[in-house]
Amino acid sequence: MTQCPECEAKVERHDKVLGEVFPCPDCGTELEVFGTTPFAVQPAPKEAEDWGE
Amino acid sequence: MKAVVVGGSGYVGGELLRLLLRHPEVQVVQVTSDSMAGKGVGRAHPNLRKATDLQFVPHATRTPADVTFLATPHGDSMQKMPELLSNGGLVIDLSADFRLRDADAYPAYYHAEHPHPELLKEAVYGLPELHRDAIRSARLIAVPGCIATASILALHPLAHAGLVDREHVVVDAKTGSSAGGQDPGRAGTHAERSGVMRVYAAAGHRHTAEIEQETGLRVGLSCHAVEAVRGILSTCHAFVPRPVDDKELWRTYRGAYGAEPFVRIVHETDGIHREPEPKILAGTNFCDVGFASDPHAGRVVAIAALDNLMKGAAGNAVQCLNIRAGFPETTALEFLGLHPQ
Repeated sequence: MTQCPECEAKVERHDKVLGEVFPCPDCGTELEVFGTTPFAVQPAPKEAEDWGE
Repeated sequence: MKAVVVGGSGYVGGELLRLLLRHPEVQVVQVTSDSMAGKGVGRAHPNLRKATDLQFVPHATRTPADVTFLATPHGDSMQKMPELLSNGGLVIDLSADFRLRDADAYPAYYHAEHPHPELLKEAVYGLPELHRDAIRSARLIAVPGCIATASILALHPLAHAGLVDREHVVVDAKTGSSAGGQDPGRAGTHAERSGVMRVYAAAGHRHTAEIEQETGLRVGLSCHAVEAVRGILSTCHAFVPRPVDDKELWRTYRGAYGAEPFVRIVHETDGIHREPEPKILAGTNFCDVGFASDPHAGRVVAIAALDNLMKGAAGNAVQCLNIRAGFPETTALEFLGLHPQ
């Protein structure tokens, strides 16, 4: 288990895998798994708008 | 458990009946209304057609019961409470008559001396999130007002944690038309109400007294009528003596409401429903509570949304009954709402 870096909600690993993106159960921030042992998450990069290409 | 609903023809009475008629531990044995006496419940509340054979009976024919709900106008139950307590079983009063502990507040806010100030000490303010233990043994439960409920639930964690300047809090509340009851007068006609964005109480609203009583804060409350049938949105501006960030606010609100069945903390980082809004709460007993830190202005914005007829009245009353009677607290209150609607 770890914490959401945005709101400190408890976040369980369950069967999440490296690179998986999932929403924080409390604040909804998209989190990305960047470590499994120990379990670690960070805000997932947001898709940037890219107009005009 | 046998229940009587006094004043059952109004909007709050109808909502109470909707809940109680499907409550597995409650049998509604009588519904009183002088104006609708002799008519079926479905005449006043068409959503309850075929749900019950009950007819309204005059108030004077009220029978003893295990629990008596009072959905009567302010000023009515304060006269009759000694009799109601003698034979009404548990009394759950949805009017304002026993919400305030200070008898002197009644002339100021309700323009009447309270005839039974000795009973104000006994009445329990029926907000489970603040008074659950007292509700468990109460004989008289005073259900809070709708705007008060939203505002108190928004502000209570901040006040309890000592995060805000207790003398400078502003509450901006928006309310739907059903909060005015079935007889709001000319202000409730379609021509006056449709499309409305009206300040109907810039200062001095009655619920100020409840909010101050329960939070210990000095509050300036301004109330607006908006284009909705159900719903309260309370936006509270609380000034902070030191910076408070979102993480501290999350901890504060989780500490207050993390285990509450009907208060959801809503403060999301993305999407179109990031903060509480009443539209999705119609028919539910939830109060959604959110917040935002505003270091630029040295304030915290606390936000709460609810359905004025549910968590703001009838739903909260049933929640109090469940607590008092030892039923599971969410019994008959599990509706999740509609989206879209």
